[in-house]
Amino acid sequence: MRDVHHVLRQMRFEPRSSLLPELLGRVGRGDQPTPPRPYRGRRWRPIGLAAIVTGLLAVFALPRHQVTVDSCCYDLDGGGVPDDGAVVVADRNGRVSRLSVYEDRDTSRTLTEADVVRLVRAGVPMAEHSIHPGFTTIRHCCQDLDGGGPPDDGLLVIATPPDRVHTAAIYELR
Amino acid sequence: MPPPIIDSRHPEPASARNETPAQLLCRQWYQAYGRPLYNYLRFQVASPDIAEDLAAEVFLRAVRRADSFNPARGDPRAWLFRIAQNALRDHIRQTRRRPNISLGSFRDLAYQAPSPEERLLWEEEVARLVGALATLSARDQEIIGLCYGSQFTPADAGEILGIRGSSARMRLWRALRRLREALSE
Repeated sequence: MRDVHHVLRQMRFEPRSSLLPELLGRVGRGDQPTPPRPYRGRRWRPIGLAAIVTGLLAVFALPRHQVTVDSCCYDLDGGGVPDDGAVVVADRNGRVSRLSVYEDRDTSRTLTEADVVRLVRAGVPMAEHSIHPGFTTIRHCCQDLDGGGPPDDGLLVIATPPDRVHTAAIYELR
Repeated sequence: MPPPIIDSRHPEPASARNETPAQLLCRQWYQAYGRPLYNYLRFQVASPDIAEDLAAEVFLRAVRRADSFNPARGDPRAWLFRIAQNALRDHIRQTRRRPNISLGSFRDLAYQAPSPEERLLWEEEVARLVGALATLSARDQEIIGLCYGSQFTPADAGEILGIRGSSARMRLWRALRRLREALSE
């Protein structure tokens, strides 16, 4: 191929000869130039933003498909009386987001305002700093505590009798 | 009073054809700048149809905005080419560029080849070059379109682009280097 500069110098294009008469006709008719359209990216921008916001809401704000399982009544604090219950909030057959251990004072076999909540654990691991000597570990297995269907979940509570609950955890048998 | 404008295809003066002032102005500008402006556009778009539509769009915009042109600042060349720049940018925003050019899109290619074979070879050569040109950035295409399509000097191109002549010369040199690289790939 010849030198680029040389070819570019020789390249010439000719508009069709009818372009000028057409143009004059359009000017004579008062045709308006095409208004600049917003380009596609700008048109889709609100939709994209809405999708992102919806996604963020779905992840962070909107309630997930969660189940709440209220199990009662067991001796979870080592007091010798099966008057304790556990409320588990979990993604269905997935991550446990909240675990509460309560004493079923009103014998309703469910958590009510009359009951005493001994422990609330939400999301992060926790334990009280001062676990009294004489604590005991209590396990209850196996139930469906995460709403997944099979009774493959266990409840583990560390407590000091008769009514001090230090920490609790849900586990799943594999 | 300005001299009457003579069109080679219509030997009688334009005013004799009862053209409106807007049509007269359009004719005058088109005859003076239509071809370089078309080539400027044609160097940057894939088909003659698009270049013609854009050229018409430029002159329509120019006629509608004629009030904003100040003749005291010289001829309307730089003003018209800036309108062309904007029209081209609008077009690029709205459409995707197609770097592959078929030979059929060169119906507007001027040639002096004496034989059909030589014309075909010339078209192939131009097609390769235009294909490589389409892979360059809009900035590179713009300076090549101005300096080769419209045959402006780098100083004139700089005036249209709002940069110094030396900057335009450097921009052109770099664009040609990238074009050579694109052709060698």
